[in-house]
Amino acid sequence: MTPQHRWPDGPDEVSAELRRALDEAALRGPDDMTLRRGWSAVAMPLEPPRARRSFWFAGGVATTAALVALGAFWLRPRLGELAQLAVRDKPAAQSESAAPGPRRLTLEGGVEAVLGRSSVMRLEDGAPRIEGGEVRFSVPHRQPGHPFVVRAEGYRVVVVGTRFGVNVDGRAGATDGRKAVGVDVDEGIVEVWEAATQRRLARLTPGESWQSPDVDAESPTPPAAVDPAPAPSGPSPTIPAPARDLRHGGKHAAARTLALASPGDGFSERATTTEKSAPEAVAARAALAAGDAPRALQLYRTLAQGTGPSAENASYEIGKVLSEKMGQPQAAVTAWRRYRAAHPDGILRIEADVSIIETLARTGDADEALPEANEFLRRHPDSERRAEIARLAGDLYRAHGDCRRAVTTYQIALGAVRPRDAVEAANFHRADCLVRLGDAGGVDAARAYLRAYPNGKFRSEAAALASGAAPRP
Amino acid sequence: MAEGPVNTPGIMRAVPSGASLTADIEMVARCRRGDSIAWRGLYDRYAPVVYRFLSAFGVPGEDREDACQEVFVAVYRSLSRFRGEARLSTWIYRIAARHAGRIARRRKVRTLLSTLLVREPPPPPAPDASERSERLQLLDEMVSKLSPKKRLVLVLFEIEGVPIEEVAKIAGCPENTAWSRLHYARAELMAMAKRRGGG
Repeated sequence: MTPQHRWPDGPDEVSAELRRALDEAALRGPDDMTLRRGWSAVAMPLEPPRARRSFWFAGGVATTAALVALGAFWLRPRLGELAQLAVRDKPAAQSESAAPGPRRLTLEGGVEAVLGRSSVMRLEDGAPRIEGGEVRFSVPHRQPGHPFVVRAEGYRVVVVGTRFGVNVDGRAGATDGRKAVGVDVDEGIVEVWEAATQRRLARLTPGESWQSPDVDAESPTPPAAVDPAPAPSGPSPTIPAPARDLRHGGKHAAARTLALASPGDGFSERATTTEKSAPEAVAARAALAAGDAPRALQLYRTLAQGTGPSAENASYEIGKVLSEKMGQPQAAVTAWRRYRAAHPDGILRIEADVSIIETLARTGDADEALPEANEFLRRHPDSERRAEIARLAGDLYRAHGDCRRAVTTYQIALGAVRPRDAVEAANFHRADCLVRLGDAGGVDAARAYLRAYPNGKFRSEAAALASGAAPRP
Repeated sequence: MAEGPVNTPGIMRAVPSGASLTADIEMVARCRRGDSIAWRGLYDRYAPVVYRFLSAFGVPGEDREDACQEVFVAVYRSLSRFRGEARLSTWIYRIAARHAGRIARRRKVRTLLSTLLVREPPPPPAPDASERSERLQLLDEMVSKLSPKKRLVLVLFEIEGVPIEEVAKIAGCPENTAWSRLHYARAELMAMAKRRGGG
């Protein structure tokens, strides 16, 4: 470090503020998703070094010719495909004769898309946008940094490697002219992002679903021209009927009925032929839906002994079942730690880390939670969960009366790209801790909180801090 | 460039650590040979740096992601021109700075054209929703008022923690000029901060 890096080093408050601002600026960075999107855009296949400059003309001519030939070759099959995708399907009566049943397409990267009869999907720069109806996807495991993104209305569904469905329903909920969007997950992890605000709205694990807020999730709304399926009435835990595989008997069963058509339209049968979910996973989800957590646990344990993505998922799910369904947080933490040991770079690694930290914090085990949280912050400098964890660590330090460390971790939360809740809480608690430490910046921080969040959750406490009425040490 | 991260108390500076010139040359050579792992490594190491630099330099949030990608496309296309005379980070900063300048000019031209054609000018850069710190927003606002040359030097030295000799290489000026620009940038920034702080 050079002495110049201490600028501004004046004792006055303006210098201190400026220094803090520069330090904050040095801490900011993109979130995971931004980096992944960026990587998707720049992960072009590397070519050998360019031809020497003296040969640039010849090289250019040859390259142009090759590109023209390649373009023609590339466009020829795709023009048909694009036209097929862009043209809205005819009404059911007409399309039955022309193209009965669903359409199955293989997209870039081996992604399989099964379109329902009434579905409309466009490819925009290779990325699908669903304009109506339902499309189910089967996404092979993706390299980190290569998420598969599906757009639907104002949402982005971001996938790492999984099976899931997206449904855009023009008839439901459209109070502002937008169609309702539903997402449900068979396997892996799917994130739903609001495209306009770049805000993550949901992180879905297998068996979970999400519905855009316009729609009453309890009202089954089948896609147009697809017969509504009856609500699943308790799928068998032991006989995973193929047609149920995509129907998800989890906690949002009612909403999920819109994800499938009736067997009569050929969609279910076709879709199930692409279903490769391990039978144990399907049975485990069914067991969970039926309230039989021990059976689900047993099935996941069997599955976890295998290899591949299903085993990895199962290994993580064991902890989830133990924690959420069986009330065994300690055992859950042990299970997630086992997952981590077996899959140190697994796609659910961050999820496992966060689950461990949250579970330990919830059970009051701050001594264990804090090292885990600190390790998370060290290990994942660009994670989008960073702010949540930093805020949680700050809360734990504060609960221990260690305001100094709490301020540091709240500062990390504020320096990360973070959800609004985390930043609001971190802002307030940081101010609170600074006041407790007798730091003159505490009152200013409380005032800044009030300016930023005039109707915030902590406004009365912040007002007390700002007025100097709050007790100081 | 410093061999490791440049630290101030509690703050890990942005300069990528542990990258010696030899390692840089080796990494670029691997990228040029078509080694996708090396390219990924390069992206992983420098994407957060480029993104942060663009943020600090004042590239608006809505353009930042695209700008970052454009920088890496430019890096990729120019790999064959990296001769190892400067550090890889210096070279990438230089490309990023050129892009940031181009974006600022593009925005200025759009505003000018909109004015000439009596159309609604492009909206001013909206505050980034992901960076709600009031302090940071004020800093960005003040930094954006500096001239591009002073801004570049200040951002690189004060925020990115780049040593002055590297700053001079990135800015394409002698070291003394870089010091001079930094001096005036600091003075202007402090004056603005004092005005805002009522001091």
